[in-house]
Amino acid sequence: MTMGFLAVCLTVMVPAIVSALSQGWATVAAVHGMSRQPEAANEIRTTLLVALAFMEALTLFCFVVAILIWVKL
Amino acid sequence: MVGDKTQALANVMDHIVRRVVWRIGPVEITSTVVNTWIIVAVLFIGAFWIRRRLEEKPRGIQTLLEILVEFLHSMIDGVMGREGRRYLPFVGPLFVFILALNLGWVIPGVMPPTTDLMTTAALGLTTVALVQLAIVRAKGVIGYLRHLAQPTVVMIPMNIIEELVKPFSLAIRLFGNMFGEEMVVTILFLLVPVLAPTPVMVLGILMGSIQAYIFTLLTITYLPAGDQ
Repeated sequence: MTMGFLAVCLTVMVPAIVSALSQGWATVAAVHGMSRQPEAANEIRTTLLVALAFMEALTLFCFVVAILIWVKL
Repeated sequence: MVGDKTQALANVMDHIVRRVVWRIGPVEITSTVVNTWIIVAVLFIGAFWIRRRLEEKPRGIQTLLEILVEFLHSMIDGVMGREGRRYLPFVGPLFVFILALNLGWVIPGVMPPTTDLMTTAALGLTTVALVQLAIVRAKGVIGYLRHLAQPTVVMIPMNIIEELVKPFSLAIRLFGNMFGEEMVVTILFLLVPVLAPTPVMVLGILMGSIQAYIFTLLTITYLPAGDQ
């Protein structure tokens, strides 16, 4: 039971850490690009949002898996 | 006192997960469906009310709507150019509907229907089905099959898997974000009912808008770029 809760916590925690790091990285790169070329800001913003959505999705898949484990407990 | 709170926290799911309201024969009407009806009714009444007072020179709420249309135009133009605007009748209502569903909690007693996986799964499936039809219409059946074998013939299984994953990822993304946000609000509300959930609820308005935007943007990127 305790190990089960640990598993649920880890299932949410590890992807959250990794996705926060990677999203920060992507945002840093996009902001650099925008400050160098402000005229391309709109395109960069659209691409950034799509990329962030894909990174976010993996975390949310893990979130759903965590809910499934929790329901099973 | 502490015991009360743990008890309340243990039942936090009861506040969020859907429940059966009516049962008509084998058909179960859940709270999600009722909430969706309420939001759709509000949208309908608002739409009729605004339509009655459309004017040549926009003012009041009509300005807001024209900003919305401009915003949708710029979103479509950014991805596939001006000829992509023929998809506006499909993309625009999708954005407005998902935005209304996400912000449904501003009506007292209504839980946003997008916190239910069933709503988002329906949205994802219908959207991707329509996208496939749009690709077939733009390229023809043979063109569609050729588009599946895009770089080489070896990639056909990968492309089919990609098409199958699309509705899943759309649905899970919307559901996960809205459910997570709503869960944080509910837990904070159970712990400190006054003022503590307010910052998260303000963040929730932002999150709901961004999620509606992302769903629409991904739909636009899935749509065939304007050939013909």
